[in-house]
Amino acid sequence: MDLESNRSLIVAALGRIPAGDRAALQTVYRLTSAKLFGVCLRILGERAEAEDVLQEVYVTVWRKAADFDARRASPMTWLIALARNRSIDRLRATRMNRNMTPIEGATDIADSTATADDALESVQEHVRLHGCLDGLAPHERAALRGAFFDGKTYDDLAGRMNVPLGTMKSWIRRAMIKLKACLEQ
Amino acid sequence: MSDTLDHNGLPEDELLAAELALGVLEGNERTTAVQRAAQDQRFARLVDEWEQRLAPWAAEIRDVSPPAQVWDRIAGALPAQTARGGLWHSLNFWRGTSFAAGAFAAACLAGLIYLGTFAPQQALIATIEGSGNRHFVATVDTARGTVAVVPAAFSPDATRVPELWLIPPDGRPRAIGLLRADQTVVLALAPELSALVKNNAVLAVSLEPPGGSTTGLPTGPVIATGKLTSL
Repeated sequence: MDLESNRSLIVAALGRIPAGDRAALQTVYRLTSAKLFGVCLRILGERAEAEDVLQEVYVTVWRKAADFDARRASPMTWLIALARNRSIDRLRATRMNRNMTPIEGATDIADSTATADDALESVQEHVRLHGCLDGLAPHERAALRGAFFDGKTYDDLAGRMNVPLGTMKSWIRRAMIKLKACLEQ
Repeated sequence: MSDTLDHNGLPEDELLAAELALGVLEGNERTTAVQRAAQDQRFARLVDEWEQRLAPWAAEIRDVSPPAQVWDRIAGALPAQTARGGLWHSLNFWRGTSFAAGAFAAACLAGLIYLGTFAPQQALIATIEGSGNRHFVATVDTARGTVAVVPAAFSPDATRVPELWLIPPDGRPRAIGLLRADQTVVLALAPELSALVKNNAVLAVSLEPPGGSTTGLPTGPVIATGKLTSL
């Protein structure tokens, strides 16, 4: 689907939600739920949990649509952040009951699975972010990936990569500083 | 605090925002940072900026269609529809209505006259709205595979023409045909579209160069949308 037209469809529908338009929420759901379910499922690793969180996400969209400001963020950025945050909250809340084995295939997503067109984000932004991520040291990139895609904490990542917590913190912080500098060039 | 620099040279606030957006914080640290974002606009903006930097990465996550019952659960979890606070109390709705009421009534009447020519149980209708205005009213005769579109409050664009699209649940728009600002247009639905024209499918209108989009997808802005419902 054409990126800009999809974006304007979502923005228009989000704008109608505060007036109580359920059909508008359904339009947002229809256009974005496959991406957001993918995000929830990737972080949570269990369909039932991901379905629960997806429901929470769209009920939150219903309540908070008025907070979305199209001049400040793309609708997909806003929705993806909402889905990630809800998934991470759920993951943290249930982590005591979970075994900590990594989600199947979690540590290595081949780039061939990329579906940039479906993310509704500009392909250019994706390419740019990738260029900057490629400039990081492999251990820094691996740590950021674990956090972004699997919802791992500093603690989890330190354990997974077998380094002290303090080392992991400075890896990630240094990586974020480099990333910002590169994206701003 | 915002002046405190990390040993690497970024303000501490900026790093905290990055950590929150990335999701590495847990327990009290996460709760405190989330609360701060809710109260401190400057900090919230830093978090937004980091979310924006990271979001394109989600393009790597494969889309997965959720099962149909998830939508039913969402619809069931929404507050019950009441007159107060709903559409009837929306200022924008009434603004749009007062401007467009006459044209809209005329469009509805035209739609009903059109509907009079076939069995109503085979009819679907959509009011195609955007920016508080009802631009068109579309009525579908599913038996004949045609859609009649009556202009209501649509103001013609000097250089572009309105094009009608069908958006079925898969989210991919299918071109139906060009509309007119000054008269009703009856368009035949291609056979593959007839199966997709159902209750809850969405009609959308985009502005395209004369002759319509040549790419098979909307190229100009989508100015109005409406959901099809059976009469």
